[in-house]
Parts: sequence; structure tokens; C-alpha cells
Amino acid sequence: MVQLPAVHDGVRGYSGHLLVEHLGVSLRRILIGSAIGVAGGLVLGVLMGVVPWLRVVTEPVVTFVRALPPLAYFSLFIIWFGIDETPKLWLLSIAALPPVAVATAAAVQGAPTGLVEAARALGAGRWAVVRDVTLPHALPEIFTGIRLAVGIAYSSVVAAETINGVPGIGGMVRDAQRYSQTDVVVLGLFAIGLSGLLIDGLLRAAENRLIPWRGRI
Amino acid sequence: MSSDDRVSGDRASEDTAAIRLADVEHRYGDVTAVGPLDLTVPEGEFLVLVGASGCGKSTLLRLIAGFEEPTFGTVRAAGGPPVPGRGAGLVFQQPRLFPWRSVGGNVALALKYAGLPATPDRVEELLGRVGLHDVARRRTWQISGGQQQRVAIARALAVENPLLLLDEPFAALDALTRERLQEDLRRVSASSGRTCVFVTHSVDEAVFLGSRVVVLTPRPGRIALDLPIDLPRTGLAPDELRGLPQFAALRAEIGAAVRDRSPSEVSA
Repeated sequence: MVQLPAVHDGVRGYSGHLLVEHLGVSLRRILIGSAIGVAGGLVLGVLMGVVPWLRVVTEPVVTFVRALPPLAYFSLFIIWFGIDETPKLWLLSIAALPPVAVATAAAVQGAPTGLVEAARALGAGRWAVVRDVTLPHALPEIFTGIRLAVGIAYSSVVAAETINGVPGIGGMVRDAQRYSQTDVVVLGLFAIGLSGLLIDGLLRAAENRLIPWRGRI
Repeated sequence: MSSDDRVSGDRASEDTAAIRLADVEHRYGDVTAVGPLDLTVPEGEFLVLVGASGCGKSTLLRLIAGFEEPTFGTVRAAGGPPVPGRGAGLVFQQPRLFPWRSVGGNVALALKYAGLPATPDRVEELLGRVGLHDVARRRTWQISGGQQQRVAIARALAVENPLLLLDEPFAALDALTRERLQEDLRRVSASSGRTCVFVTHSVDEAVFLGSRVVVLTPRPGRIALDLPIDLPRTGLAPDELRGLPQFAALRAEIGAAVRDRSPSEVSA
């Protein structure tokens, strides 16, 4: 028999926080973590695409990190950074970086010769070509990488909030699992999934606005 | 240091030549695409290179533009070894506009690279020179193919380079647009006084535009015929010019040279 409380226990929400608060805290972590990861992935990806030897050196490292489950390196971050915000943001950043780096590097390498020549014929130097041709041309693929990265950050949030994760939607799910509170777990899953859909929709809308030339080359 | 001295010395002795190719040969692997050939283009000349497809005329232009290095021999253009973006404007067969920039933005980029102020007025003026008005704010795919090629020409003309190199720029256009653009290019090049090298497989286009026509042999491309075109550069309408008996005679002579030197697939 499961014991159900007949009277409200007087605690507001789950562990003292409403669902929106759990979600808000997690979204903030996802936002900051993805932003750092995307920025790092962009810089790394451009360098990998432009400097061949750097790609040879870094590509195996990026693939190695990509293959690791976030929970595995989370233990390391706990040891290094404690149990507050820092290790959570590190985990989300590291999870978000590889897809952006890989997509950016591939897109930068695939810059169309015709347009690169056109820019050089106008007097563009090496970095002007990167800035005015390679990067704008790569933008659609970079955006796809960003959407993937945000998706991975999303799916890693439960891992990131394994320890000291409340408030946080992942922490809530973890905590509820410990007490077999299926309803709370399912609610948490829906909250994560639906907000993920919403964010992806926003990213796609931004993409359509920022890249009107997609498919026009 | 010493190479600099040599450059300036050569420049002094080659005052009148805008382009000079000496003993130039270009190979892709084992295949000789061009040469060996010598070619000197005096300043202000409108040289047209004609030949069947695959005769290396585009390779020759790429050598002059600095996109390729000759396997043997030397190429000099605009007073030194050719470097892309220095001394020569270039127009390709496709417009090669940047779709992430507006039409005006494409022209402005050329000015920016040259360190010139890219004001909207200046961009509008450059577009006006190739017959385009009120398109500066449009996206590149919102204008027609002929207009796109006009933008490409405006972009190449934006900076006052001594050379203008054109690689079959009108080949992909419909006949009507092509004739219009030929006419406009004739006018623009005559008024700018720039040295032009124009690659085409159309004999009619060669006679219409050129002050000199060079016919290339099929691979490897060598000079089969080198003919000055003594037709009036200005003052005649295109139809009048094409109606001249000399025009027909030149077209026949060059056409015969191209056919002679080409495998059977060449069309008149």
C-alpha cells in the first residue's frame, strides 16, 4: 500500500519550488551553458576549418569528448569545482561545444571556390575572405550545429542536476525518482520536452530571419 | 630587395605593355593546357581570346589574373607578377555575387577592399554606369540573370584598376540580354580606356567587342591567328557596325581560323 498524504503538507510546490521555478533555473543553466559552448565551438570550428594542422590535432579530441556520456565527466567537474553552479555550467558547455565545432569546421572547409575567388579578385586578404565569404556561407550549417548543441544541452540537464540539482527540473525528476513519484517524473519530462520544442522553434525563426539566402547559392 | 629592383627596372622598360606573357606554358599534371606562347597586350587595347571549348583560353586568363602560376615562362600584368585583386578587375561566367549581401552591398565590398569610401551615392553611381537603377537594396536573387551579371561588372569596375579581365561573361545569358550587355561593355570600356582581355567562344562577339582578336588552337592552346580589328570603336549603332562589309569579312576570317583549328564539334 502506498501512503498518500490526506492533508497538504504545507510545502509549496515540489521541494518548496513551483514547476516554473524549477524550469526557470534549468533554462538559465541551459542558456548560459549553451552560449559558452556555442561560442567556444564557433571559435574552435573556424580555426579547425582554416588551419589544417589544427584540425588534425583537435578533431580526435573533439570526437573523444563527444563520445563521452556527460555523467562521466560530471564526476570530474564535481571534484574540481564543487557542487554549485560551476560544474553544471561546465557540463552543459562541454556537451554543447562539439556539434557546433564539427558543423562549423565542415562548413568552413566547404566554402565554394567560385565565391572565394571572386572575393580575392576584389582584393580580399585571407581573413577578409573568412569574414566576408567563408563565415556567411557557413552560417546555415552553423545554425544547424547550434540547434543540435542546444538539444544536447537540454538532454544533459538531468545529468547536470544529479547532485545538488534542486531547484532545477532535472533535479526535481531525479529527486522524484528516488521516492517513486511517477507523476512528478512524467510532469518533469513533459516540461523539459515542451520547453525544448519551444526553444527549437525560436531558433528556427531566428534562422529564417538571419539567413534569408539559405538555399540560394 | 634585389627582386624589387628588378621589378621596377622591368616596369620602366615595359612602359607600354599592360600584359606581357613570355614563353608561357601551363600544365595540369601531364596535360599541357596552354602554350608555349608569347603575348603582349599594349595599354588601352581590347583583346579578345577566341577558341573552342577546352582550348585553354580560360586558363590563360587565370594566369593573367594570378589565380594560376605558369609551369614555365613569365607572366606580368599591370607592372608586376599578377596577384589576384591587385591591378585587375575580374568578371566570371557566373555572376558570383555574394547572396548574403544586397546588390549594393556587393559593389560596396569592392570599394571597401580598395580602402575607398563606400557611400550609397557612389554605389548607386557605379550601378548606374552599367544601366542599373533602384536595385541597390534588392537581394541578389531578386534580380534577373542579366542584371546579376551587370552587378558583377559594376563590382569589377568599382576600383580604377588598369586591367579588366572577363571570362565568357555573357555565355550564360539569352541572346537579347547578351547583345545589350555587349553594347554596354563596348561603351563602358571605350570611355574608361582600360586594357581589357575578354574570353569568348563566339566569333561575332569577338569582332564586335575587340580591337584585337587572338584565336587559340585546341589543347594545348597556342596562337593560331592574331588579328587587329580596324572597326570604328564609337559612333556606330550595333546594327550599323554589324552591317559593315569589313565586319562580315573579319567574322568570316576568324570563324575559318577557329573551325580550322577545332575538332568537328565546334559550331559556327
